[in-house]
Amino acid sequence: MANRVAIVAVSQNAGAESKDNFYDQAYRVVKDALDKAGMSREEIHTVVSASSDIFHGGISCANAYYWESSAAFLKPGSRQDGESLFALAYAAMRIMTGKHDTALVVGLCKGSENPENDTCTHMFTDPFYQREVGLNETVAAALQMRLYMERFGVAHEQCAKVAVKNLGNALRNPYAHKKGIYTIDAVLDSKRVIDPLTAMQIAPKSEGIIALVLASENKAKKLTDKPVWLKGYSSSLDTFNFGDRDLLNGQLKNAASRAYKMAGITNPRKEVDLAEITEPYAFQELLWCEDLGFCDPGGGGKLIDSGATQRDGALPVNASGGVLANNPYVSRGLQRAVEAFLQIRGEAGEHQVGKKVKTALAHGTHGFAGQCHAVAILGS
Amino acid sequence: MGRPVAIIGVGQTKHGRRMDVSYPDLVREAVLRVFEDTGLTPNDIDGVVSGTMPSMMEGVALTHFYFADAMQAVGKPIMKTETCGSTGVSIAHTAFYWVSSGMADIVLAVGHEKMNEGDSQATMTTVCEPFYQRHFVAGAPGAFSMQSRVWMDNFGIPEDKVRDAAAYISKTHHDSAFDNPYAHVKLRVTIDDVKNSKIITYPIRLLDVCPNSDGACAVIFASEEAVRKLGRKKVAWVKGIGFRGEEYYFGDSDKAVWQSAIQAAKEAYDQAGINDPRKDLDVAEVYNPFTFQEMMFYECFGFCGFGEAPDLVLKGTFARGGQLPCDPSGGTLCTNPIGATGLIRVAEAALQVMDKAGDHQIPGSKMALGHAMGGADQFNGVMIVGSEL
Repeated sequence: MANRVAIVAVSQNAGAESKDNFYDQAYRVVKDALDKAGMSREEIHTVVSASSDIFHGGISCANAYYWESSAAFLKPGSRQDGESLFALAYAAMRIMTGKHDTALVVGLCKGSENPENDTCTHMFTDPFYQREVGLNETVAAALQMRLYMERFGVAHEQCAKVAVKNLGNALRNPYAHKKGIYTIDAVLDSKRVIDPLTAMQIAPKSEGIIALVLASENKAKKLTDKPVWLKGYSSSLDTFNFGDRDLLNGQLKNAASRAYKMAGITNPRKEVDLAEITEPYAFQELLWCEDLGFCDPGGGGKLIDSGATQRDGALPVNASGGVLANNPYVSRGLQRAVEAFLQIRGEAGEHQVGKKVKTALAHGTHGFAGQCHAVAILGS
Repeated sequence: MGRPVAIIGVGQTKHGRRMDVSYPDLVREAVLRVFEDTGLTPNDIDGVVSGTMPSMMEGVALTHFYFADAMQAVGKPIMKTETCGSTGVSIAHTAFYWVSSGMADIVLAVGHEKMNEGDSQATMTTVCEPFYQRHFVAGAPGAFSMQSRVWMDNFGIPEDKVRDAAAYISKTHHDSAFDNPYAHVKLRVTIDDVKNSKIITYPIRLLDVCPNSDGACAVIFASEEAVRKLGRKKVAWVKGIGFRGEEYYFGDSDKAVWQSAIQAAKEAYDQAGINDPRKDLDVAEVYNPFTFQEMMFYECFGFCGFGEAPDLVLKGTFARGGQLPCDPSGGTLCTNPIGATGLIRVAEAALQVMDKAGDHQIPGSKMALGHAMGGADQFNGVMIVGSEL
């Protein structure tokens, strides 16, 4: 990358319902990120936020609402909709041109004021064919899970293990919304929502205001001793009609291979030290691990059985508890980047992994069965 | 700063009440036209930027999913840029940064809206804060009529003069739309027709107001290297960009000396090396959903002093043959598919400096401005394009 871009400071709020209103919540997190970077609002050159409009929060043009409280007043800015890792990439591009030295990235989603996740995701459907049949993200995931288990012989228990691991990891993460020590049986015996998905294999609806301060290479070195570099990034979009897609052969491989190429990674199994993956449905962590090249196709079940993705494993996945523990829909991808940043800096607190993390991967996905994926590679 | 970026081609739909096509097909129409215009294929595209107004507009959320195929974006990196009414210019900014940063060589930008499938005024009312402001602001005209009153009062402009100037703008833009094959409203109107048309929100009348349009616009941005490799001569180089957003609460800021508009333009002028915009620009595509507001933009963009716009409008300074022709395409006043509108302004500016605007070409245009405004008067974005690198 010609002009390197670093993340110099991050902040996030807790996933459980907050009594703060949207403005205050946004203000506090943004202010905290600026304080951690040792910067005033005036030193931020550009602000890129990520949010979603009326179906997430009751405001059309969500950027209108929080513009001032997220430090963007009379600053060059923009907004990304749907996936907050887009905003990370866009802010980085703004710095890479040399037009801006510093940038603030903010992801905003106030889950407690939103309708149910699937009330929103149902609106992704076209109004003529798919809406009538009730397709939403959970229905799509259930179909994908069934196919995954049948094609690769992955067991229910292996999928449930993801929830056991992530909700257990979340016990050490003060920001996590859902957490606890559960057995595989408890996960499988939780309420059957849409077969074969049970309630504990489905992510909650959480609050998530996330802020990151980005800087150019020169500026970053002045601001911190431990800059975390954006080494690679890409995204990829799949075809719309749900029935036209091979749900087990999606676009994550494309997004990942482009991000790896940019970061100079040829063997992700060896070169990625830790991954934070968006797994709104437990089994998806296994499938996404395959697509990211962490194991062979169909090997996701064996990967979790091997213990490699545990917090103390060879390749910890979702040491923070992941999206099953904290699911602010739009902000969840950016939250993965924040967690990757903290792990690389050794600042993840009680959920800091034992191994040294030099390179970490943050993944975001939104849409039915992963219609869109984004992958960011961060490194020390 | 960054790599130079050019617009190498544009595609627009026939805008209007397009009940003959579905929303994805509307998008596809614009996208296929830009491929036709540039001779490129989807394989040449490194990334796609999509954007629109909020989901309430057509009842579909995160429409980049819905239009993945129509935009020829399957398997491509994607960005989804939305900043309310200024979305179209923000899409252009995103495509510019993507190429300028070196992350991509050729980027397709697509803006779209199918307003006849929803209730645009109801949607825009939900832009406003739900507890205090939403009850007062009945869609866009409410905000814009208050703003025009503030402006008149602030600079002591006689209402009759403003009325005459606004009617002049309406008449000339409606005439211009006949020279734009893609324009929506094609209606011959007289000054008296405008002044006697139905009141929408005093002092704004029906012929002062833009329509609800269905439409899409697609624009291809390319790096200098790609332009050379493709052997393109007639391109529109991006010379400057600017964007600002201000207070959410409508009453908190001065909407006559309008900071977001002033500072967005200044940022773009500084990059483009423009000191005297009325002289240095050859044409401007100003976002003008309301005739009154167009005059305020002239002032905030430095085309003239504050309070002077109505006099200059009546002298023809901003008409097709004037010193700085504004909205020779007929502008937003005659065509407004909101998510596409800002990108259409940029596309029209690019067509002018590429000498490809056809019957509404302003001869010899070398430097042009495209602009869009969003929120309840909250956001302004500008892109300046030029014929020379």
